[in-house]
Amino acid sequence: MRKILTVVIFSCLAIMAQAQSKGYTPLKNTDAFRQALNQANASKESVVSDFTQTKHLSLLEDKITSKGQFFFKKENRIRIAYTEPYTYLLVMNGEEILVQDEQKTSRISTRNSKIMQSVNRIIIDCMSGNVLRNPDFSVAALESNNAYLLSLTPATDAMKKMFSRIDVYLDRKHFDVTRLTMTETGGDFTDMDFKNIRHNTPLNDALFKVK
Amino acid sequence: MTHCLRLSSLLILCWAAGCKAPYKALQPVASAGVHTALQYKPLFDKELYRCVVEGKFLLKSFRLSGLLLLKHLPDSSTRVVFQNEIGFSFFDFGWNKQDDFTVHHIIPQLDKPAVIRTLEKDLRLLLMKRLDTATEKHFIKDYSLYHQFPLEQGSVYYIESNNTLSGIEHAGKRKTVTTITIAGKETAQALPDTIFFQHHKAHFTIQLHKIIRHATE
Repeated sequence: MRKILTVVIFSCLAIMAQAQSKGYTPLKNTDAFRQALNQANASKESVVSDFTQTKHLSLLEDKITSKGQFFFKKENRIRIAYTEPYTYLLVMNGEEILVQDEQKTSRISTRNSKIMQSVNRIIIDCMSGNVLRNPDFSVAALESNNAYLLSLTPATDAMKKMFSRIDVYLDRKHFDVTRLTMTETGGDFTDMDFKNIRHNTPLNDALFKVK
Repeated sequence: MTHCLRLSSLLILCWAAGCKAPYKALQPVASAGVHTALQYKPLFDKELYRCVVEGKFLLKSFRLSGLLLLKHLPDSSTRVVFQNEIGFSFFDFGWNKQDDFTVHHIIPQLDKPAVIRTLEKDLRLLLMKRLDTATEKHFIKDYSLYHQFPLEQGSVYYIESNNTLSGIEHAGKRKTVTTITIAGKETAQALPDTIFFQHHKAHFTIQLHKIIRHATE
């Protein structure tokens, strides 16, 4: 069950891929970027946005699209609620995770699993823009005129089996994550595009309740 | 005490009689003039299902949920992809025009011969692949028509009631191995709206509910 949930949760990193690095060049001043990113994140107590997720099946030329809402509250609380064409809820609160579909609610603690801890951390790091500090991935930082791209390559065997790369796109103005891309080892990839991003909206703790 | 033993023996006998040989009551029907079950072979471009797999293995419960995409390709091959809600693929199976089976992708956690064999068989029976009408036999029971095809192990029954396909059963030597209950077939060759696989030996179930709004190309 834990392994399966690991896959479920970890795939949350999912999201768009494929050499979107076109038009991006290596960041010239990484220290300045890191400082600006930290500063921007320090001012964000919460983030709320809508998202559209698109799974690209490489061999079938098919796409599967779903939609929902994303919530982040400092320091380490995340709620991802899928609303179309199915309902599915993923809540991460510290070391605890809740997964809920139409029929059942499952809770899991990451305390006894290093993989789950890594998964939990990378998701929160991606969403909060702190991926540069994550030890489980090597990160290449790139930039274009409009955005920054943090391209993550898994450094551990467990993650290498699942993903070949995770790309995190940040807008230059607010350093918001506007797109996440997960490329699977088989070549399929999933995009998660974030729209209507709002900062510091008061969020009730009940949204992140896992027990 | 003796009374108690007699009663339990009787109960065991009743249970055994009820459980074993569920197909003994089938009455053979001459196949001449009876239509083939293949008239229900699904024809589709693509369909998307909400999918939940639940069961127990070594006393531990497990549950997987996600989306199942079935796609018929122009080269007459078929692909079935199961992914979780967040987009990560669990498996990607395919059958070519000759119904030869290929695993295009499967996650390490599911990459076990018995798991692949079972999933392949479930989907193959649902999609009515590798069935030979020359070996088809017909039976009747409780006003239902049973179309039987031999499998490598056991046989499969396509059960027709009120002129529609109502279920599929994979039968072992004595017992039912898998029951596939279907509902909501718009036409004879449409994939059903809901499908429920129940594995009686392996103790797990697969629920499928068709999602109407789905994949875009």
